[in-house]
Amino acid sequence: MKRIYVIEDLCNGCRLCQTFCSSLKTGVFNPDDPQTGIRVLKMPGEEQDIPLVQCSGTCLRSIGGNEEPTCVTLCPTGALIYGNLEFARSRRMELAAARETHGLFKVLAPWKWPFPWARPQKDSGKA
Amino acid sequence: MIRDNKVQTILRVDLSLGKTRLETLPEEWTAKYIGCRGVHSRLLFDEVPPKADPFGPDNILYIGTGPLEGTPIGMGRLSVACKSPRGTVAEGSCGGFFGPELRRAGIDYIAVSGKADRPVYLWLHDGEAEIRDARHLWGRKVNETDALLREELSDPDVQFRYIGPAGENLVHSSPIFGNRDNSGGRAGCGEVMGSKKLKAIAVRGSGGIRVADYEGFLKAYRNFHRRVAVATSRDVWTPIWGAYGAPVIVRVFNDQGGIMTRNAQEMHWDEEKCNRVSAEPYLEKYVTRAKACFCCPLPACKKQHAIRSGPFEGFRGGNLWAAIPSIFGPLLDNDDLELIIVMAGMCNQYGLDVFHVAYTLAWAMECFEKGIFTQADTDGLDLRFGCPDKAGLVELIRKIALREGFGDLLARGCAGASKIVGKGSEKFALVVKGQELEGIAHRNSYMVALGVAVSEVGPDHTRWYPPHPGHPALLKNEDLASLGVHLDLAKASQGRNPEEKGKVLRWFTMSRAIVESLPSCVFLVRDTLGFDLHPWHDLFQAVTGIQMDYAEFIRAGERVMNLDRAFLVREGFRRADDRPPFRMANEDVPDFGFPKLDAAIFDRMLDDYYQANGWSLKTSIPRQSKLEELGLGDVSRDLEKCGMEVEP
Repeated sequence: MKRIYVIEDLCNGCRLCQTFCSSLKTGVFNPDDPQTGIRVLKMPGEEQDIPLVQCSGTCLRSIGGNEEPTCVTLCPTGALIYGNLEFARSRRMELAAARETHGLFKVLAPWKWPFPWARPQKDSGKA
Repeated sequence: MIRDNKVQTILRVDLSLGKTRLETLPEEWTAKYIGCRGVHSRLLFDEVPPKADPFGPDNILYIGTGPLEGTPIGMGRLSVACKSPRGTVAEGSCGGFFGPELRRAGIDYIAVSGKADRPVYLWLHDGEAEIRDARHLWGRKVNETDALLREELSDPDVQFRYIGPAGENLVHSSPIFGNRDNSGGRAGCGEVMGSKKLKAIAVRGSGGIRVADYEGFLKAYRNFHRRVAVATSRDVWTPIWGAYGAPVIVRVFNDQGGIMTRNAQEMHWDEEKCNRVSAEPYLEKYVTRAKACFCCPLPACKKQHAIRSGPFEGFRGGNLWAAIPSIFGPLLDNDDLELIIVMAGMCNQYGLDVFHVAYTLAWAMECFEKGIFTQADTDGLDLRFGCPDKAGLVELIRKIALREGFGDLLARGCAGASKIVGKGSEKFALVVKGQELEGIAHRNSYMVALGVAVSEVGPDHTRWYPPHPGHPALLKNEDLASLGVHLDLAKASQGRNPEEKGKVLRWFTMSRAIVESLPSCVFLVRDTLGFDLHPWHDLFQAVTGIQMDYAEFIRAGERVMNLDRAFLVREGFRRADDRPPFRMANEDVPDFGFPKLDAAIFDRMLDDYYQANGWSLKTSIPRQSKLEELGLGDVSRDLEKCGMEVEP
């Protein structure tokens, strides 16, 4: 079964998902609307942000086409994944592998980065 | 409460009387000045009396957002404005989450006038305002204030703006902070807030923002998002900026031959040193996670970081931004990234302006090298370039904020301190209109020199700086003409060619004024958005429901620009004040061979700029015909009433 999975590590707390989701039904942007299917909890001290999903992922109206919910399409870092469990696991492994290669993937999922990436040689001293 | 976006509200707070009042602004203002920075420019001109004492009760501090805030286009942008203690306009924009929360509470602008007799903070919730005692917060650092207030109001979603000890102590140029690491209004909004004894503003709203035409909004948002999102933007800078953030610019600028080194005595830094403070080591070693402002489509333009070992072990912070690595790095000849992180973090915690601190330190270091200061003057600190005494420098930043010892001198800023010290040190105080420069070099890019010199708030590159002026691949001169921009892009993007600079600067200043008035983030002026404002025009129409043609939309930006200039000239600034710093105009760069910025060339660019704007070439006062054309006839009459020679 397809659903929305979350990689908490990657969430930057922008609330684009929550804000857009709130507007899809009513045309009113209100992140506190009780009908909003996703909420981002902000931890004090700007330390962490945790998205909570209460939604099957069958988006009312998808901004990027019908295959993907709006929140997943718009998530800038790749913290939200839409697919079955198998797919979500493979994405997590892809992220873990990418993090071994470059610090960039602490802040961004590799499938959101448009350029092919090659690890610069450590001893060359230049990227 | 559900807000529509045509009529904007202003909460007037008189701290002397302890009273608050919610008013609405004239409806036509939304079309005429849009909002945010635009409305602030109008309010500043109308309500702050000429020659008012910046620290007196007559100066008004405005904090506000615009009609697009609260929708995903607003990006949490917030404008803060007042009259600067230097006499200029003090206006700055910052991100975070305060703006949307303010709109959801039913308020678009806050105008704080008067002066409280004891420290207070404002607590706003759903259109209601309380002035509360803040004696327990006075003297607290930014991060402590954040934690204490959050505890006190016991709601994780309350948003704050506050000042640190620097603002309380009226330290030169201190800004207003929020979300711990976001700051805005570096020309002294924090100082003015401190002079009013207003420690913080807290806001929580439960309303929503209804856009007038939701289908139109979705269509326009898709168009906008495609141009600025990392994966789809045609602009090669977007992914680099969006994921790496500002630390990339040290190396990029150095490769272009324009990084100010050792207080801009040189313009080239050792390549190895550049690599040490660049984005890659920052990401690998220190970054812990990405952070973003409200609804930003970029993944990681702001980041949280922590230092895990060494002398600064355990130091946490965020937002290594706004050219910080280049001002705490090459400018001080410091290649220790940890020290950069800690110095910037200390500035954030104590509520200081990073540019003030970095340039004043660089100036003090040059004084130290030239023998103007000895260790007896600096409280025993070894203040050579290269930062040999790291702990001492970090301690000095604390002393600047608290105005202790040697810090008290530096707390007056470059210009203030050099006036006291004398001995020729004024010649290397890098200031324009009393305000320190930023991270961009002048002698290799005439557009920067001109833009910084003429800016109404003192140096502020975000008011006009095009991330990549040329865009030759995306836009041709013919395309530009069809957008109403008549200039030769090839010439405009040549660094040391004075041609077209006046015209291109006028365009960027005008278009940025619009983006900041909507508001939206100026760091998203990517792809063709620097010249083609149609996506923003569509979004504005969809959100507000106001139908307006494109040329009229652009004119709103011109109005803002002219209001800022009118405020500045009413305060007594003239053409002679639009000057680059002494060093840029009189000293050649030794290593890279960039000559000084010749006075004749600069005057020519200045003439072009004033000419293009319809301002007097002699005095820089906007001409009456220009003001009338923009529907600002009252401004021209007001200037005449103040005894100024407004040319027809």
